[in-house]
Amino acid sequence: MLRLLRSTSVRLALGFATLFVASSLLLVGVLWWGTAEYLARETDAVISADTQGIRDDVTLGGAAAAAETIAIRAGQSPDGRAIYLMAGKDLHAMGGNLMTWPYNVPVKDGWYLRPLDRGDTTRLMRFRVSDLPEGLHLLVGRDVQDRTEIRSLIVASLGWAATAAFVIAILGGLLVRRAVLRRVEIINRAATAIVQGDLSRRLPTRDTSDEFDQLAQTINLMLRQIERLIEGVRNTSNAVAHDLRTPLAELRARLEGIIRNEERREQPGNNPVVDEIHQAVADIDRLIGVFNALLRLSEIDSGMRRSGFRAVALAEITTEVAELYGPLIEERGIDFVVDVPEDLAVSGDPFLLAEAVGNLVDNAAKYTPKGGTISVAVRLVDESHTDIIVADTGPGIDASEKSSVTARFYRGRAADGIGGVGLGLSVVEAVARLHGGALELADNAPGLVATLRIATKLPPAPAGASPELAASGIAAI
Amino acid sequence: MKVLLVEDNERVAQFVCKGLSEEGHAVDHADNGRDGLYLAATGQYDALVLDRMLPGSIDGLGIVESLRRTGSKTPILILSALAEVDDRIRGLRAGGDDYLTKPFAFGELLARLEALVRRGHGPTIQTVLIVGDLRIDLLSHKVVRGGRPIQLQRREFKLLEYLMRHAGQVVTRTMLLENVWEHHFDPQTNVIDVHVSRLRQKIDAGFEPALLHTVRGVGYRLGGDA
Repeated sequence: MLRLLRSTSVRLALGFATLFVASSLLLVGVLWWGTAEYLARETDAVISADTQGIRDDVTLGGAAAAAETIAIRAGQSPDGRAIYLMAGKDLHAMGGNLMTWPYNVPVKDGWYLRPLDRGDTTRLMRFRVSDLPEGLHLLVGRDVQDRTEIRSLIVASLGWAATAAFVIAILGGLLVRRAVLRRVEIINRAATAIVQGDLSRRLPTRDTSDEFDQLAQTINLMLRQIERLIEGVRNTSNAVAHDLRTPLAELRARLEGIIRNEERREQPGNNPVVDEIHQAVADIDRLIGVFNALLRLSEIDSGMRRSGFRAVALAEITTEVAELYGPLIEERGIDFVVDVPEDLAVSGDPFLLAEAVGNLVDNAAKYTPKGGTISVAVRLVDESHTDIIVADTGPGIDASEKSSVTARFYRGRAADGIGGVGLGLSVVEAVARLHGGALELADNAPGLVATLRIATKLPPAPAGASPELAASGIAAI
Repeated sequence: MKVLLVEDNERVAQFVCKGLSEEGHAVDHADNGRDGLYLAATGQYDALVLDRMLPGSIDGLGIVESLRRTGSKTPILILSALAEVDDRIRGLRAGGDDYLTKPFAFGELLARLEALVRRGHGPTIQTVLIVGDLRIDLLSHKVVRGGRPIQLQRREFKLLEYLMRHAGQVVTRTMLLENVWEHHFDPQTNVIDVHVSRLRQKIDAGFEPALLHTVRGVGYRLGGDA
């Protein structure tokens, strides 16, 4: 219930219903005041006027004059709708169309609403009792039976009307909620597709220029801006790639040309200058490696590769990586255990996943001492997550270093004397994030357990994904 | 073989031309897309090496597409400073046969070119490959050297098959990684060397002469003279 209340659309619907009911009640109140209450006020005014008239007669002409007036007035109402009774001190009737003072009306100044027996029927009457000079008592009454019936009729209809209003309000609220939800859902779906890497997608707009339309148009403007920025970054990194690779290619070509010339002239292996140049070429290659890894990271981080996701059999990927590294690990005298169930599949990029697992196994192979154990396992965590676990018995990662090892160019303390540039785990983490998961590093006591958690099923890629990117799944490049 | 190089960077072009001629190949060079396309369409070449980014209206991919549209089957190696997987896929989808990222080692370029040209010539359907006294049957997966059967694991067999298909040529570690394992990332460690040395243990130990040679700084070669 609380969760439901947190929904904007539900709150909107409830607010709408409340407002609707409140305005209906106001309408009903005014109506009530204008009809039923008006009738009551009219009756009271007539009774007051009658009473005043008779009192004036008593004052001016005594009881006899009053009795005369009463007789005339009573005569004007032969059906007994108007009641008059003037009584003396002992309550004996001195005039009017009522024989005796009604038992249920007190002899005391004031207004009373009492039933009165009229032969075969009982009618509801409104009475005004007033004390007249000379110790007389005056009772003026009007039949309000019909008025009361009309009044309860009005009350009943107003009640029905209010109920109907409430029901309509709730229904209206729900309709509003549905309409709002539908628009929000459309925006949500489009935005999800965009987050998944389809930046060319736009929110649908209508020509209504309503608030949702304006919102969609604003978001579309924002998307166009983002697309331009990303395109800019892409162009820049392509330009940087080109402008840096070309001189490096020139440099490498020049150095390799020297080596080839030298080796053509004499036996290879006995010229220290050539060895130095070989070293320089190796340095260039390492630089290129870093450079490629950085470009790759930015490519993964942009999320564009998501549009090429497809079903990936994890068993296949991990087994292939295991086959690639198996001999190397065995040769180093390390036990290699691979435990991968056959049937686990995720939605993802097979090349990136292979690279991530490869990086983890590569790391494990580098850090695990002779006699240690490296294990690779795939586990279904729950319906929506799958873990690829690479564990080793190497030096592990210090708790203090755990958060920094995935930072770019960070090399752990254990990395001293071991090759690498410190981008491997950054790539693994970026791949995990791209697949809706995370990289977790834990203590294997001793050693490291690296868990690459990936979302088993991302929302399906939008149908409008660019075919070129979608085709990046072709197996053999 | 006769190679056409379309490359606008003078120094890289010079380096490739010089290297190829030293290896005994004939090289024509164009430094822009229009001339490159003209030469490629009119001359007879065993292979083309195209830079992807070229000045002028036609870039490397444009040349590839134009040539493929006219039905040319000449093997094409694309050179590029763009290294993203998607760029690579675009290059291959346009009709390129191989893709090499700059900067590259000359040995890598040469090995890939020779592999491409060989692939274009050799009979496509072979069930038995023979190098010296080593013989493998692709259907029954049997490997025999000097009459003695050799047991190979699946991946070792695939590695040997690739080496035998390129017998006498240098194959680089990257070529092995891409073609035998279908991986496209750089292992930080010498995984490929370990696989090759295992294979060498099985096919060369106890036999003369050694068939699987290491080519310093480049890769490996099966058969051919030492």
